[in-house]
Amino acid sequence: MTDFSEEDREAICDMFRRLLADQASEEKLREIIETPSGLDKALWQQMAELGLTGIMIPAELGGIGGSIEEVEALMEVAGASLYNGPFISTSVIAPILLSAATNTEFVSALLEDIASGEKIIAIAGCGRSGDWTKSPEVSAKQNGSEWILSGSACFVQHARNADAFLVATAQEGNVAVFYIPKNAPGLDIVEHDTDDKTLRLSTVDFDKAQGILLEGVGEEQFKSATQSAIVALAGEQAGATRQIFDLTIEYLNTRFQFGQPIGRFQALKHMAADLLIEVESASSSARHAARALASKAPNASMLAYLAKFTCADNFRKVSADAIQLHGGIAYTVEHPAHLYWRRAQTGQWLFGSSDRFRDLYLSEMETAP
Amino acid sequence: MTADLKNEVEVWLTEHWDPEAECELGKGEYDEKSWLKKVVDAGYAVPTWPEKWFGRGLSPKDARVIENAFQKHKAKGWGRDRFHLGAITIYKLGSDALKSELLYDLLTGPICCLLYSEPGAGSDLAGVRTRAVRDGDDFIINGQKVWTSNAVEAEYGMLLTRTDIDVPKHQGITFFIFPMKQEGVEVRPINQITGEDEFNEVFISDARVPARFIIGELNKGWFSFQTAIASERLIMGQGITSRLRGAAGKTPALLKLAHDHDKLNDPVLRQEIAQALAYRQLNTLNMLRAKEEVAKNGSSSLASLGKLAMSRIQHGEARISAKIIGPQVLINETEDSRNANFDAAKAYMNSIGGGTDQIQKNIIAERVLSLPKSTDVSRDIPFKDVKSS
Repeated sequence: MTDFSEEDREAICDMFRRLLADQASEEKLREIIETPSGLDKALWQQMAELGLTGIMIPAELGGIGGSIEEVEALMEVAGASLYNGPFISTSVIAPILLSAATNTEFVSALLEDIASGEKIIAIAGCGRSGDWTKSPEVSAKQNGSEWILSGSACFVQHARNADAFLVATAQEGNVAVFYIPKNAPGLDIVEHDTDDKTLRLSTVDFDKAQGILLEGVGEEQFKSATQSAIVALAGEQAGATRQIFDLTIEYLNTRFQFGQPIGRFQALKHMAADLLIEVESASSSARHAARALASKAPNASMLAYLAKFTCADNFRKVSADAIQLHGGIAYTVEHPAHLYWRRAQTGQWLFGSSDRFRDLYLSEMETAP
Repeated sequence: MTADLKNEVEVWLTEHWDPEAECELGKGEYDEKSWLKKVVDAGYAVPTWPEKWFGRGLSPKDARVIENAFQKHKAKGWGRDRFHLGAITIYKLGSDALKSELLYDLLTGPICCLLYSEPGAGSDLAGVRTRAVRDGDDFIINGQKVWTSNAVEAEYGMLLTRTDIDVPKHQGITFFIFPMKQEGVEVRPINQITGEDEFNEVFISDARVPARFIIGELNKGWFSFQTAIASERLIMGQGITSRLRGAAGKTPALLKLAHDHDKLNDPVLRQEIAQALAYRQLNTLNMLRAKEEVAKNGSSSLASLGKLAMSRIQHGEARISAKIIGPQVLINETEDSRNANFDAAKAYMNSIGGGTDQIQKNIIAERVLSLPKSTDVSRDIPFKDVKSS
């Protein structure tokens, strides 16, 4: 559970919202995605100064000790601006995995570096299926006191900007997680040309690369980190969904045809009313999942899976209909609607598909007490 | 105060009500009129109203203390200040004289029926054509109403009529409290696609209603009607939340059906079942958020989404139930088939009744999203010039 009050949570969200309004406008985003790294490092540093990169890291290690509820709320703000930094990897997944490890001295130093903004961590969590709930395709072999990693991790976000990776490996049916610096011999990054320019994806190949085992981190801890990651992503999508929806409603009120605002036409009104259900369902599912995870409620997994496919699907649906509702103007690359729509497509596949999580949701229902 | 009140009601119920036989103590069977008189006389039927009008002047919170005690004892007649639409409307809009004449009768009688919709006035209720024509101290009523529940037992109906056809439609409507038990009122049940007949048609020919039974003012019935319909929406909202509460914690019906028919291994059906269950759960989560927002800010726009969301849920669940059952759904010889076919038809009750989904979408778009109102070509012309089908 979190020590943050609702007011505290709103305060850090306001702070983040102001920072993004100032530093991450649509114009700025369009500039950043044209750069080789695709990342605004100065903004990441400013987030670190505000304590945001250490949101889930305890105060004694330089963080601010929040929970997934704060993360979800911040991600709604991030999503509204299509923020594209390595927040989920570095500030959500990495701290959860590292905090679970028993080689305390090693991980404490890392957590401090994350909180201070000094280190960006990317996560190699899946193979070609893109599905974090399936077995990774990197294997680890012990050689004396050393661990040697081989294989490939796919759809890795922010690989180029990372200082180090946390790599999920298949270990005799279990999962083990390793730390490996980016410059380790045998580690190779292949950057891909993504359709969604706001999020870079890479394949990371390991050819007998040497990693450091996170002791005590197995399948259960990896699953728990994945659940927080999908709820953080759900929050981001819920925020993005609401933003593109609000932009669309504003357009329906201001665009005139036949001498009247087009929002007076019922065909568009009915689409808008239907979409409002999807917008609100996204917010409700993300927030309730975060609350359930934070309080370790028995239905937390079920709600996390529900939030995953609901927010992914609803973001795609609302951003797709946003283009249709705008008409020609949103078919131009200068209009932001396609940026949301493309990010929505990415989100449908990150960590695993909507169909996969819909199935897992049903499995949770089947076994619910 | 609360503890004293609870104690007082408990004692009163113990002295007057038999929870085993669910009737008045010593009577052997339930006599509605006799029991309701006792409840009204004790001030328990409408506790939030002032003593002058059979209440106790209590806060809604204290009134719940009374309601809870009644429910605990399985006693009837509570909460008439929340659910008896006719009495509520007369209490809010009637003159003191009308209240003195009718309120006690209404409170101790069956609930009123609602004589609103007509064959030619469904979504566009302000287009009612049932005529009310002045005749001495009375009005004479001629016309037809539809979708009236409780029309057989009701002693009074809330009647929407046309009293002036030379002005635009909203300005020529008069709202009456109308005595049902008279010649000239014929009630015919409507056979519904579910096999039920909970609704009726009401044919009114030369029936009479005293002019003093006008609710509000002559030709200003549309305004009085808004008050009545607001109370009705409040009741519908309460009904929805309590039903959802009742469903929580049980194995979802769809999951049980799929299990019984051994379909939980079908990957395509699994997707459809999961999505259907998700829609239901998402609506529950939205309504929980609505409650939190109401507690915090006094209102929530989320509440208005529930009815529309429920249409997708109910039509979807019925469609998937049929898929789970397979071709056997064609044969109404099993309970599962009968339920699936009944539910498929019954889903229209939500998507048409109380305002179609399409009207609901207009309302959401205009009131929640503030999109411009649609034009009503009949709004500003004399009613006699309005085209009808």
